[in-house]
Amino acid sequence: MYSPELFLQTLIAGVIIGVLYALMALGITFIYSIVKMINWAMGEFYMIASYAQYLLVAYLLGPDLWWLGALLSAAGVFLLGFLLEPVLIKPMFRQALERQDEYATVVTISLLLLLRNLAAALAGPYQYKPETNLPLMVMVGPLPVAGPRLAACLCALAALAIFYVVLRKTWYGLALRAAAQSRIGAQTAGVNILRLDQVAFGIGVALAGVAGALLAPVFQVFPTDGAVTTVKGFEIIVIGGLGSIPGALIAGVLLGVVESLGAAFISSPYQNVYGFLLVLLILLVKPNGLFGERARQA
Amino acid sequence: MPSPTKIAAAAAGLIALAVFNPGARADEAVKIGLEIPLSPPGDPAAGQLIRRGAELAIDYVNTVQGGIIGGRKVELVVQDSHGQPEAGVAGYRKLATEDKVIGVTGFFHSSVNIAVNEVAKEIGVPTLATQASAADITAKHYDQAFRTHAIDALRVEAFLAFFKKQNYKRVSLVGETTDYGIGILEETEKQNAKQNAGIELQKITFDHSATDLTPQLLQVKAFKPDLVINIAVGQPVDLMMDQAETIGLLPATPMLISYDAPVRPQYWQLHPKNGSGIYFIAYYSPKEKLSDIGEWFAKAYQAKYNEPPIYSSLNGFGDVMILAEAANAAKSTEPKAMVQALETGSFKSWTADAVTFPHADGPFWHNWAPPILILHYTEPNQDWRQAEILLEHAAAAR
Repeated sequence: MYSPELFLQTLIAGVIIGVLYALMALGITFIYSIVKMINWAMGEFYMIASYAQYLLVAYLLGPDLWWLGALLSAAGVFLLGFLLEPVLIKPMFRQALERQDEYATVVTISLLLLLRNLAAALAGPYQYKPETNLPLMVMVGPLPVAGPRLAACLCALAALAIFYVVLRKTWYGLALRAAAQSRIGAQTAGVNILRLDQVAFGIGVALAGVAGALLAPVFQVFPTDGAVTTVKGFEIIVIGGLGSIPGALIAGVLLGVVESLGAAFISSPYQNVYGFLLVLLILLVKPNGLFGERARQA
Repeated sequence: MPSPTKIAAAAAGLIALAVFNPGARADEAVKIGLEIPLSPPGDPAAGQLIRRGAELAIDYVNTVQGGIIGGRKVELVVQDSHGQPEAGVAGYRKLATEDKVIGVTGFFHSSVNIAVNEVAKEIGVPTLATQASAADITAKHYDQAFRTHAIDALRVEAFLAFFKKQNYKRVSLVGETTDYGIGILEETEKQNAKQNAGIELQKITFDHSATDLTPQLLQVKAFKPDLVINIAVGQPVDLMMDQAETIGLLPATPMLISYDAPVRPQYWQLHPKNGSGIYFIAYYSPKEKLSDIGEWFAKAYQAKYNEPPIYSSLNGFGDVMILAEAANAAKSTEPKAMVQALETGSFKSWTADAVTFPHADGPFWHNWAPPILILHYTEPNQDWRQAEILLEHAAAAR
């Protein structure tokens, strides 16, 4: 049942959800760029932030200060990541482990299982939804969009923009980019690479936390609320290229649009399949992703 | 040739083993298995509610009845199915072969129950579905498969009666691609075609893990239905309600939720503004008469949890009671004896009607079903016990 209006509506819906996925992907790809490891527990940091957002709004701040709750939740997740990194990840470098990838995989998957089951045990089985003072519906072109969903999209874009500026225009950003290019080179230049890892890990999980806090009113809060966005995040970094920040945003939007249009005009039960088909297509045509580069190793 | 002494010693050992077999002590607890979703992607709220009922049933049997089969205590052994068939099968195997339970109940997700029944057919320990409704659970006529819940065919009969009562002519069915969702969609199409009442149906499906139902709901809006049926379980129910409201489908177009999610305590917290006006299926009304054990249960539940019991807990209670009664009637914990007792017996559950599991046709095999109600929230924050009852559809004798 094609119509230009339906096409435009689903396109806009796809762009909005794509930006939200991109935030998650950015966290994953940023950690990989600096720390050279995949954090499989990103969805659980998203989940922690979503619970934090609910608790802050429901018991402390109220719906009017939902935005402050999101900032505090993200800051809390940053702190958690900052504190966990020296315990869980640093040993990978300090002890010069031979199989760092396997170590990182085992540690982060263990963390995933621990956090997920802890949430189910502590928070119980019910779902929660933090309230906001945002309008129920806002028209974006021909598409009515829920206020919280649109706000999450705009805040995600703001977060991406701030992140880009920090990375490009600050000394710390320069150090992070240097570490992404060459850890040894950055160390030689006097950068405390292990301290940088700690900050980078914190920033990466905080990006997931921003997504979790912003999306809590949209997708609700429950122990595995981060699982689906994590899968999308990994799809995006394959499409966009591991380690590429512009790639994460463009790939996120592309994924959102492909899924949305596919569900509307081809067949809706296979919505998630279209995303995976896009991943396969990119792997066939550009194995390093749209903006990825081949790794250079001595 | 072994010496006579050795032969005598071996014989004495065998006799001792037969008499003092640790697996057959008269005072050993009788175990009942509970296979429920306690973690996502299953519906852990449903699992917890069923568990509450089951635990109170254990209390009743042990403290009020004094045990079964000559005073043996009963014990509940719980496995988390995660709402996934493979985890459910692994859980069932452990319950049946290691824990040696007399039966496994608590099933909520149809896909889990269907997968487990394929294994139960081989192992022999009976399964008793508590809130899983897909036809295939009992339609395959496995001796070990039993159910005390409404099946899809009955649910859809209620749908069609509701369409007729409300004079709906265009209905959108939006269902998840699980055994539950697809089963209801197909059954609705089949019964609608058979009744030939001139109702136009739109069928839309979506993946249970979808995070955005806007594309699907825009198609529904374009169809201009008289009613939308929300055929999802767990979080997608709420996502569909919220997104339907966003695009203007709700409240202009009524929505019917296909199971009793709105009776749960969290409903009004999740839907303070759009929860009113919703129709939903329920299987128990407080106006319904309870049996004496049902009355005991309702009081005990209220005292323990400070809220009245809902259907999931009632049926969790009832199913454990049925398995205990069957073991008592069979005076045995052997699987074959349990199956025979379930097939031939008449059991007391939470409802005033006796529960039996006849050899009926199709999915009605080994099935007892509660009546299906369609309730309607008419105002915000309404207690489900005060909801308007629009339809009550009892299962006809088959």
